[in-house]
Amino acid sequence: MREKLESLGLDLPLLPTTTVGSFPKPREVMEARQKLLAGKLTKKDLRPLEEQATRFWIKTQEEIGIDVLVDGEMYRGDMATYFAENLDGFKISGLVRSYGNRYYRKPIISGKVKWRGPITVDWWKFAQSLTKKPVKGMLTGPYTMMDWSFNEYYPNRREACLDMARALHEEVKALADAGAKIIQVDEPALSARSEELDDFIIKALDIVTKGVGAYFITHSCYGAFEFIYPDMLKLPVDNFDLEMSNSELDLVEIFRRHPFTKDISFGVVDVHSHVIEDVETVKKRIKRALEVLKPEQLWVDPDCGLKTRTREEAIGKLRAMVGAAEEVRKSLSEK
Amino acid sequence: MELITASAGSYPRIGTAPEKQRLRAEYARLDRGEISKEDFARVQDEVTKEVIEEQRRAGIELATDGQVRWYDQISHFARKLDGCEINGLLRLFDTNFYFRQPVIKGNVRWAAPIVVGEFKFAKKVSPIPIKPVVTGPYTLARHSIDKHYHDFSSLVADFVVAIGKEVNALAKAGAEVIQLDEPSILKNPQEFKIFESAVGEVSKNKGKARLALYTYFGDAAKLYDKLQSLPIDILGLDFSYSQKLAAVIEGMGSEKELGLGLVDGRNTRIENVKETAKVVAKILKKLDVDRVYLNPSCGLDEYLPREVAFEKLKNLVAIAKQVRAEMK
Repeated sequence: MREKLESLGLDLPLLPTTTVGSFPKPREVMEARQKLLAGKLTKKDLRPLEEQATRFWIKTQEEIGIDVLVDGEMYRGDMATYFAENLDGFKISGLVRSYGNRYYRKPIISGKVKWRGPITVDWWKFAQSLTKKPVKGMLTGPYTMMDWSFNEYYPNRREACLDMARALHEEVKALADAGAKIIQVDEPALSARSEELDDFIIKALDIVTKGVGAYFITHSCYGAFEFIYPDMLKLPVDNFDLEMSNSELDLVEIFRRHPFTKDISFGVVDVHSHVIEDVETVKKRIKRALEVLKPEQLWVDPDCGLKTRTREEAIGKLRAMVGAAEEVRKSLSEK
Repeated sequence: MELITASAGSYPRIGTAPEKQRLRAEYARLDRGEISKEDFARVQDEVTKEVIEEQRRAGIELATDGQVRWYDQISHFARKLDGCEINGLLRLFDTNFYFRQPVIKGNVRWAAPIVVGEFKFAKKVSPIPIKPVVTGPYTLARHSIDKHYHDFSSLVADFVVAIGKEVNALAKAGAEVIQLDEPSILKNPQEFKIFESAVGEVSKNKGKARLALYTYFGDAAKLYDKLQSLPIDILGLDFSYSQKLAAVIEGMGSEKELGLGLVDGRNTRIENVKETAKVVAKILKKLDVDRVYLNPSCGLDEYLPREVAFEKLKNLVAIAKQVRAEMK
């Protein structure tokens, strides 16, 4: 897909480095969010703090030497709830347990899902204004939005997902109109029910992306890809961003049997571990990927969002990732 | 024919109202070392009483203890079996709930009762009959990382012996119905042979209790005739994954008493009483068994807010009432 990137005017090195989306929020943002929930602050009060934190992460990504940046999602809580709050047709539920003593509020689709105006575009514009490097547009995909919501309105999962896709298509268009050339559609739920891939997931992503001239990435994690690979290659996106280091890299074996035909953002650092990988470990992971993928196909990034790590751990992991990518890039150009 | 309203497993342990959040707050205090395990166990006892009372108030006739003490359906058993260590979090089927994955490091062996104490407590405090729930050997094996046997059927075989002992102990403790949860078979129908012998062996331990095999999180229509051949007394079915299941049952009838999971335990939408009652009545007309249970499609704790769970059960009772009126 190098041609597509070039045609969009994107001049990226081999093995472009990027991140999945979220970074840890600084304490002042976390505290302000608590106060917002308690009704002691308004969303407007939060904005300057969120902007300051976004500036920090843009500058940090530039300093580390990452090629394709993200805004860091300083303004988001949960990735599904954030979009549910900004689309028509949603309510938010009471508390549901996710594990142990952790609870969350789940979106409820209670009416027809509609786009009522840009959701992420302002933040994208703000982040892009701070850097010359490309910043990815980011949204949660229609299948994940449907799968992670209760559905009280639509007769079935398919109808809910397809209407969700129509709403998100408007957001994607708005991002592209604002100038976003790389747009990431997060679908962590992608492998939830493998039979639904052909039933309607492909169609949903087709609705989301149709007619929009951007390079599309879809991110997924914790998947059981053996159930949807190679069928998932039918999804109308340019790049799959997949968790690799946390899955003991067994996908490489799968790719040996069925060659991967798209670009891939290969997760090379584990976001669930406090341990900061060294450059050698990350290099080994990249080289392992290159056994089954062409250098032109390969992007390098962490497994998932880094929001659960400390700032130091996140930065340490990204430095190791960029250092390793640079060394492998160098050895490729020497060949 | 008797239609009995029943729970199918867990019940939410906290609610959204502040006074319903005690267990969560005390759990956090336990984590910080501010209260003892015994203090926390007392809170769990009280919440268990509360959720049994809520089920009764909704009109449920066969309740569970709500599984208030369970971390999750898998590790609650593996934790107490020899040979198992507990690993990181993994998504449970296609839900948004995470369980801790067992790692098998040695021979799996039953060391002491797992849920018998919980059952005895619930039975003692409950004004209505209590059904203990046990996760089945096949599902436990399917959710484990095997670093010891390197052979799936040997792993299942040892889980069978262990769970058989638990079922036996529950029967001796006075359980009249024991629910054996085996959701995994629906996703792995090709392993039915292993599954069949596992259920057969466990069934030998049921004593005077009746064994209820509950399947969920998948389409049971394709396996329905095979499930009918198992040595069980009650077969629990999840209708939320299947368009055809009702028609399959109407076509084939049933040798077993059925647990009809016609109330979706994973969606906040409250079922239409008349429409759902019609589906139930249509199935009942084709059955020639003594009892049929109407229950949610799965446990409710991990999938619904407490307030909605209560509404769901109340609505389930209303559906049963409507069915009884129609059947007259």
